[in-house]
Amino acid sequence: MKIVLLLLLLFPLGGAVLNALAGRWLPRRLVETTACAAVLGALVLAVAALVLAGDRAHDLTFCSWIVSGDFSAAMNVHFDPLAAVMALMVTFVASLIHLYSVAFMRSDPDYVRYFCYLNLFVFAMLVITVADSLILVYLGWEGMGFCSYALIGFWYGEAANTAAGRKAFILTHIGDVALGVALAMFFVLFQDFSISHINAQAGALTPATATILALLLLWAAAGKSAQLPLTVWLPDAMAGPTPVSALIHAATMVTAGVYLLMRLFPVVQLSPVALLIMAGLGAVTACYAGLAACVQRDIKKSLAYSTISQVGYMVLAVGAADIVGGMFHLVSHALFKALLFMAAGIMIQALDEEHDIFKMGNLRRLMPGVAYLFLGGSLCLSAFPLLGGFFSKDRILLATFLHPDISYKVCWALAMVGAALTPFYSLRLYFVAFQERAGGPLKQDLRPYPRVMAWVLAPLLVLALADGLLNLPGGFGKNFLGHYLAPVPGARPDLGAPVWLEWAMGMGSAFLVVVMTWVTYRYYRRPRRGLRPWLHELLFQAFYLDRFYLAVVARPYQQISRFLWQRVDNLILDRGYIRLAQGVFRPYRALARFLWQELDQRVLDEGIVRTASGFLSLSALLGLWATGRLSTYLQMLLLGLAVWFGALAVSWYLW
Amino acid sequence: MVAMVPYSHVLALAGVLFLLGAACAVARRNLVMILIGVEVMLNAAGLALVGASLFWQQLDGQALVIFIMAVASSEVAVGLALIVYSHRRTGTVNADDYNLLKG
Amino acid sequence: MSLYALIFYTLGAVILGATGLAITRRQVMHAVVYLVISFLATALLFYLLGAPLLAALEVIIYAGAIMVLFLFIVMMMEMGKSPESPGAYLRQWLPALLLGGVCLAVTLALLLGDSGAGAPLKSASASPLVFGRFLFERYWFSVEIASLLLLVALVGAWYLGRRDENTEGP
Repeated sequence: MKIVLLLLLLFPLGGAVLNALAGRWLPRRLVETTACAAVLGALVLAVAALVLAGDRAHDLTFCSWIVSGDFSAAMNVHFDPLAAVMALMVTFVASLIHLYSVAFMRSDPDYVRYFCYLNLFVFAMLVITVADSLILVYLGWEGMGFCSYALIGFWYGEAANTAAGRKAFILTHIGDVALGVALAMFFVLFQDFSISHINAQAGALTPATATILALLLLWAAAGKSAQLPLTVWLPDAMAGPTPVSALIHAATMVTAGVYLLMRLFPVVQLSPVALLIMAGLGAVTACYAGLAACVQRDIKKSLAYSTISQVGYMVLAVGAADIVGGMFHLVSHALFKALLFMAAGIMIQALDEEHDIFKMGNLRRLMPGVAYLFLGGSLCLSAFPLLGGFFSKDRILLATFLHPDISYKVCWALAMVGAALTPFYSLRLYFVAFQERAGGPLKQDLRPYPRVMAWVLAPLLVLALADGLLNLPGGFGKNFLGHYLAPVPGARPDLGAPVWLEWAMGMGSAFLVVVMTWVTYRYYRRPRRGLRPWLHELLFQAFYLDRFYLAVVARPYQQISRFLWQRVDNLILDRGYIRLAQGVFRPYRALARFLWQELDQRVLDEGIVRTASGFLSLSALLGLWATGRLSTYLQMLLLGLAVWFGALAVSWYLW
Repeated sequence: MVAMVPYSHVLALAGVLFLLGAACAVARRNLVMILIGVEVMLNAAGLALVGASLFWQQLDGQALVIFIMAVASSEVAVGLALIVYSHRRTGTVNADDYNLLKG
Repeated sequence: MSLYALIFYTLGAVILGATGLAITRRQVMHAVVYLVISFLATALLFYLLGAPLLAALEVIIYAGAIMVLFLFIVMMMEMGKSPESPGAYLRQWLPALLLGGVCLAVTLALLLGDSGAGAPLKSASASPLVFGRFLFERYWFSVEIASLLLLVALVGAWYLGRRDENTEGP
């Protein structure tokens, strides 16, 4: 088991290191094969780990990492069913995305850097997934942040991309500060960084301490998962390549925050206040992002806001103390969001980097395969009855509704609004991009793309559609995922709801979704009235949150730094250093010239040349000895004998 | 037993003979004469060994002389063959003329 | 002084004289002949010192084979008098005489000043039977090696001496 988990981490790391060191000199196919093989190997190992783990948690140690006085942190691993499911999901989606990337980046010369970072990112995510020691989690956390920065700003030739990468990095780091503080608090309270130990001893915490810890963790999760108020980096992060968006901003990084909350749930659940704030934050974000997604023109930005909204649902699930529901929705969302992003990638490449959906059209006729993929993904996203997203979202709504606290009903209402908006903004994308449009692209406008990009998505579509089978609320295979996750502390396989309530809620949300689907269809069928301009602008700018931050935080910071640079730095440079350097420089030059001419040339001239000529004459002298004549050598033999005899006589008589 | 000369006299004779042979090898320039000097030296060694064998009343010295004779004869054979060969190649048996290794 | 001592000193003088003459001859043929005399005297000396087989072998091998070989070679190659300049003779002999003199002085001083070997040798004689048995019992391996050595010398001398179309001749 230890070997399996160790290799699970080392495969993607090894792939990244190998490509980083030798990728420049290896053929392109080999680099791509290495990267894909590393992640596919990790997938096989994740399956093996899942099978080997059974249904209990495994605590393993790889090696001792930091030992300093009383403090020691080892590279520990806590592999329970939660980690098993997450690892399997991450490696599966990452494998498909790697295969997709091979085709997507086919004409990009920087593929080595790309695959290296992609593998490194998978490694960091797997570290977070299986790590037991919080320091190790922090390592993976920061590693993910760096890889995300590197991959968002992958095409760094354009300033906008690097700005987007920087923005993502800074904003997630604002969350990481909270994680650092939480780590310090954990150490002070428990003298231990191990998640399993902390979870076991969580009962020792006072509610106030637990609240502070939970809120700190929530802030960190909000940074990483793009929840309010730190949502603004995710729409801009769409500047990166589409497979990056599919991996990072659909399946892995944005779910890492929620995953951390689930891992430390015994701590979090001790504070009802924090749980309520969590639920509220999740619900409000879901609603906010859903509204913003309704008017976006860029297909990737729309999917980004959709991600923010869906992750809000996962946070809501944790706030409603339903880990199973959160995990279920995490897995479903990973599947269909990755599918949607990758299908969007195909569309963008086929239409020559066109992102605006209102300039697309006719695609159902021109790219039928992609049309079905996108339709399937959209229907899952909008929680169409009996498809993948339906059961997971339904369970979250049920858990929220069932919560005894009255405030949760408000959260439930907000979540229902979000659930109503979801079919609208997701099917809107489908209808606008794929329906017939008079001025839309013609067959000759489509750029050719490798078909393998679409074939990779077919299994994803099947899984996304059938995803509901994982955790059906009733009947055959009831609560399968829930029972698998039962050993995880805090998980409730069965919500314990009355059957009529379940059916009522299910029917209600199904009806809502079907109605919204029909509304969307009709709305985009005929020429439509737009929204009022001010309302449109409000939603388009996502309630001006980005501009707010820019004005309040970024601009003043830039101005202060410019002032410091121009006034302080330049003045000091101008006056002080240059004069100082000039004062020192002249005598130094005189000294150097003196040393050179007097010492160096004299030494060179006389000493070394004389030594060399002395050696030459010595060797000429010795050369006289080698006459090449036999008689000379025989004389020398006799001379030797005579010398030896003489020494013998001297020693004998002087003794 | 019949008395003979002291052993040191035998060694002295052998020593002088040896040095005569050495002087011949060193001073003469003809290759054949040099080889003759070597033969004289070997003979002197044999003489010393026979004397030693008589001194210690053991036969090992005489056995060694047999081997010296064998070695001397094979060495002379090969040496003279070399001299003949060199004479054929270069036309001279003067040792001073073979100075290609000079320098 | 006993008879044997007298014979010994006489033979010693003959050996030294013959060898001294041999090494100073201009003609190589003369030198070879004088050396034959020296070897014959050495053979007698061997007999005196109790090694009759070795005496016989000295005559057969040294005087009989080796010197005759020298004669053959000298007669085969036209050597004649070596063309030396008048002053060269001393220049050639000076190092040898000097160094040889030093060694001689030391050797004689060491040997004749040693009191341990002052006693006269007891004469004895090793008959060929005894000697042969001794040789083949104690030193049979060396005998085999010596025969191998002679074989090697044979092959070498044959190879070096043969004349075929490829050798460059004068």
